[in-house]
Amino acid sequence: MSTVHGSRPQSLGPARGDDVSLRRSLGRLRRLLELVRPYRGRAALSLLTLIVTTAATLATPYFSKYAIDEGIGHRDRQALLIWVLAFVAAAFVGWAAQTAQTYLNAWVGQRVLTDLRKRLFAHIQSLELGYFENTRTGRLISRLTNDIDALEQLVTDGVTSLVQNSVLLLGTAGLLISLDWRLGLATLTLFPLMVLSTALFRLYSTRANRRMRERLADVTAHLQEDISGMRVVQMFRRESVNAIAFAETSDGYRRANLRTVVLNAVYFPFVSLLNAASTAIVLGYGAKLYFDGDITAGTLFAFLLYLSSFFEPIQTLSQFFNTFLAAAAALDKIYEVLETEPQLTSKPAAIALPPIVGRVDLDGVRFGYGADGDEVLHGIDLHVEAGQTIALVGHTGAGKSTLIKLIARFYDPRAGTVRIDGHDLRDVDIGTLHGQIGIVPQEGFLFATSIRDNIAFGRPEAPIEDVRAAAAAVGADVFIEALPDGYDTLVAERGAALSIGQRQLIAFARALLANPRLLILDEATSSVDITTEAVIEEALETLLSDRTAFVVAHRLSTIRRADLIVVLENGVVLEQGTHEQLLARRGRYFSLYDDWVEAIA
Amino acid sequence: MPRKPPRSTFLRLLQFVAAHRVALAASILLALGSQAFALAVPNLTGHAIDAIRAHHHARLRSAIELIVGAGILSAILMAFRRQVAGKLSLDVEYDLRETVYRQLQRLSYGFYDHHQTGQLLSRATSDVSAVRVFLGYGLVFLTQYGATLIAAVALLLVTSWKLALLTFVLLPPIPWLAVRYSRRSHPILRDIQQKIADVTTQAEENIVGVRVVKAFAQERREGERFDERAERVFERQIDSTRLQARYRPLLELMPQLALAAIILVGGIFVIDGELTIGEFFSFDLYLAMLIWPLRMIGMWIGQYQRAIASGERIFQLIDEQAEIASPSSPRALPAGDGDVRFERVRFGYDAGRPVLDGLDLEIPAGRTVALIGRTGSGKTTLAQLIPRFYDPQAGRVLLDGVDVRELELGELRRAIGTVGEETFLFSSSIADNIAFGVPGATREHVAEAARLAQAHEFIERLPKGYDTIVGERGLTLSGGQRQRVAIARALLLDPRVLILDDATASVDASTEAKIKLALRAVMAGRTTIIIAHRLSTIALADEIVVLAGGTVCARGDHAALVETSAIYREIWEHGLVDRTFVTLDEDAAVS
Repeated sequence: MSTVHGSRPQSLGPARGDDVSLRRSLGRLRRLLELVRPYRGRAALSLLTLIVTTAATLATPYFSKYAIDEGIGHRDRQALLIWVLAFVAAAFVGWAAQTAQTYLNAWVGQRVLTDLRKRLFAHIQSLELGYFENTRTGRLISRLTNDIDALEQLVTDGVTSLVQNSVLLLGTAGLLISLDWRLGLATLTLFPLMVLSTALFRLYSTRANRRMRERLADVTAHLQEDISGMRVVQMFRRESVNAIAFAETSDGYRRANLRTVVLNAVYFPFVSLLNAASTAIVLGYGAKLYFDGDITAGTLFAFLLYLSSFFEPIQTLSQFFNTFLAAAAALDKIYEVLETEPQLTSKPAAIALPPIVGRVDLDGVRFGYGADGDEVLHGIDLHVEAGQTIALVGHTGAGKSTLIKLIARFYDPRAGTVRIDGHDLRDVDIGTLHGQIGIVPQEGFLFATSIRDNIAFGRPEAPIEDVRAAAAAVGADVFIEALPDGYDTLVAERGAALSIGQRQLIAFARALLANPRLLILDEATSSVDITTEAVIEEALETLLSDRTAFVVAHRLSTIRRADLIVVLENGVVLEQGTHEQLLARRGRYFSLYDDWVEAIA
Repeated sequence: MPRKPPRSTFLRLLQFVAAHRVALAASILLALGSQAFALAVPNLTGHAIDAIRAHHHARLRSAIELIVGAGILSAILMAFRRQVAGKLSLDVEYDLRETVYRQLQRLSYGFYDHHQTGQLLSRATSDVSAVRVFLGYGLVFLTQYGATLIAAVALLLVTSWKLALLTFVLLPPIPWLAVRYSRRSHPILRDIQQKIADVTTQAEENIVGVRVVKAFAQERREGERFDERAERVFERQIDSTRLQARYRPLLELMPQLALAAIILVGGIFVIDGELTIGEFFSFDLYLAMLIWPLRMIGMWIGQYQRAIASGERIFQLIDEQAEIASPSSPRALPAGDGDVRFERVRFGYDAGRPVLDGLDLEIPAGRTVALIGRTGSGKTTLAQLIPRFYDPQAGRVLLDGVDVRELELGELRRAIGTVGEETFLFSSSIADNIAFGVPGATREHVAEAARLAQAHEFIERLPKGYDTIVGERGLTLSGGQRQRVAIARALLLDPRVLILDDATASVDASTEAKIKLALRAVMAGRTTIIIAHRLSTIALADEIVVLAGGTVCARGDHAALVETSAIYREIWEHGLVDRTFVTLDEDAAVS
């Protein structure tokens, strides 16, 4: 199927990670398990070693109890030695298991993340252009970055810590009760208090931490803006005013952070107080039991040792809850993208488009964005001979950009047909179409690699000679060779280090090297310096020759040279012809031209 | 830049705490007090156990009461310590960030030419945080742990010196391992961050540049490149995991072995009557108290190293000399209409490659001069010397007869309005952006300036008019709209000298015609320097100055220059085209 108008409900809405209903949670678990499935052997081994590690952790205090009771209590050196050796053996088993577990668990976790990252990226790339126009770039990037990070916490540390601490908690409680049920229950009386205070602390500190992070983000954003605009600040002598504003932002963060400090200052001492209280309970009640001959000194010692491994798991588990919420939200958001079906795909029976000669026919083309969006093209008829240059002229919103998107089949029309060399675009394989079309977008987007790689983007295997030839043909060779590393110069992010004109020339060279049979060019409107302007004009001439080319044109020189000027207004073709023909008609084109002549007078 | 030895960086960092020394002293005292009571608990536990063995109920009761009392006191002191130290660390962070921010404001154009925003940002954020964590908590903790170690060691020695000696043989590997682990893993963790940044960069690029990727049908290759980068993250993660798997379990094992040894040897001592069972328990509990600080000291040594590295980067920034500052005793700017004179000015961004070389130029007050020349001929540079964004390396620049270096910087810059190529707007309302140089300006004045700049009309049509938020965190304006706001911003200053650098470059023909009318009005009565690439803009000037070879090579009006200057002729024929035709009607596109 290939019906398309990029119509989908506004995607990537608010995440519903806070929906922790059983059904949704099970759904998430199923997805996670599905990701782990290819590595189930290692995952199972990881779980096994985890259980061994935890068992060893629980066993050591037990052995020390016997060492004390059987060894020290009965003045039996041999028993003492045996139980201490058992203790050491358990410690070594724990060490070995933990070593294996740490490695296996991280391996599986990272593997799953890497797979998910790759899958997500491939999926995003397979979505049609309409999707990107309806989705904010920042959000989409966040799926591949922040959301994967949030998941990382869960899959690497979270699951281990959940299992380990749950077992530790239950195991400790069980052992305490089995050692002596009365003393065990007495110790456990503090348990609800601990759980309650921890839950309260989590609740408040989650809020406080969120606010703190927001304030910190404010500080960063404020700094970012002031540093980028420092020249303007200095130009207008706004230093002191801005400093006051910044101090306020900075103080906002300090106050938000102070709140977390206060919460910590209440909670953690309280936990240590509970610890001391539990020691007192064990000693006080334990002493009574000991006096009554109900327990041994070793049991008392074991109780004291277990106490430390009792409170920690509760704190750790409460952290896990936050991790889980964040990861659940992230997982939901990631799957929302993964489950978005690409809407523009080739038909199963699509034919490979033969090498394009260059004839383009639009018949009765109607189009609107989205299934029920307003129609923006109202029945376009346009017939272009192979090798012609067509200049599209008209105000913003007239439909120029939409028209070229249909020719490149980023969308399919609602009605009518777009044909290249007589092939309806809906019947051809998209890959074979895009492989033959060159598009030069307005802003001359560059990737943060070398200039060479940027020029060779459409033909990665091109030898350097071809890259140089393409650059020379558009007149970009002069400035490229003057750069410190020539063609190997790294383009700073989004071409920041190169001038607008230079970026355009590189984009031209990129299109030329790909040698497309059909070229679509969105002419830039921004200014370039005088020298580059002349070079660009010549480059355009080279680029446009020998192929069919559609140009969203802004330069009079380009428009004049076109074989066919198409004047669009409000989604219809108002007039078409050559510069001379259109001037002679004294219609819309004539009046636009007149405005221009007046403006430069 | 020569690296300062870490010790001096540490001392300089301490100066930031010095302002809060009372808080620092208080938190250290509170920490020690809290720790002293915490240390008492094992001792009391031992006493309690001995009392139990001896069936001495009264002693047991008092021991338990003391345990609870010590627990409460320790907890209270700990609560205060956390509060005081937390506030201290935040105050230090605040001060540090303020210092960095003020320094950033002092530094001049030349500095910003050579430093990226991202790098400077990380000095003021992550580096400041790293220092904060160490100065705020590290000092307190290190003192506390140091004291705990000494006290615990002393108590161990007192309880049983033989067992204590055994402990001292077994425990030192713990901090050693912790430091080693931190040292080895840190570079890997940093590398992982870098590799993740690579993945992020590509993700960003491919999403932002999706049109290019699709247009060239490069989805598969980009996917392969991304996979490769994702795998590199995986590989490094596994390297880090290997270290973790080697050190973490070992760090858990060491104290267990020490405990086993103590149980064995201590047990024999108890059997031999050298040690009471209570002392034995106390000893074990002291041992447990030792292990935590030993591990934490390893961690804090790592933190110390990070803080020093961050401190070095911060001080590097703070030590940077502001090249341009007001003179200590500035002269007042005399009354005048903006007579600008350059005398034998030499300037270059890199030593040995002068952009301007002995340039002389006088622009009489009230005149409008167009600067033209090829790329790199120094047009923009020349204009930037007047408000002292740079200082010439030789020669001087005079405004109304006074060397600009003798004027107070604020007074000088208030007299000059600049509209640059980059029209940066802040994330605030349009009104605030226009009133940027005159924060107290009334709405009428703001609107008046906007009207002059032909911006009033489109601003009125924005959702919230003058209160519409623009910039990075607000509405995005088109290039032409930004330029007009920037022109309004400069006009509100009512400057003596107006510098328009390519100011009308990306405006469509009809808007440009409007701005041109406006400019004619505002140029009257002030000196205007236009750096233009268009014939139509140059036509506004009384005179054209052609720059080449670092000096003025010709000046005059169009008719004269076409006759006399070969360079002007060449530029005129090839470059000065008016090309924005008819296709942009950006104001209409806003709503």
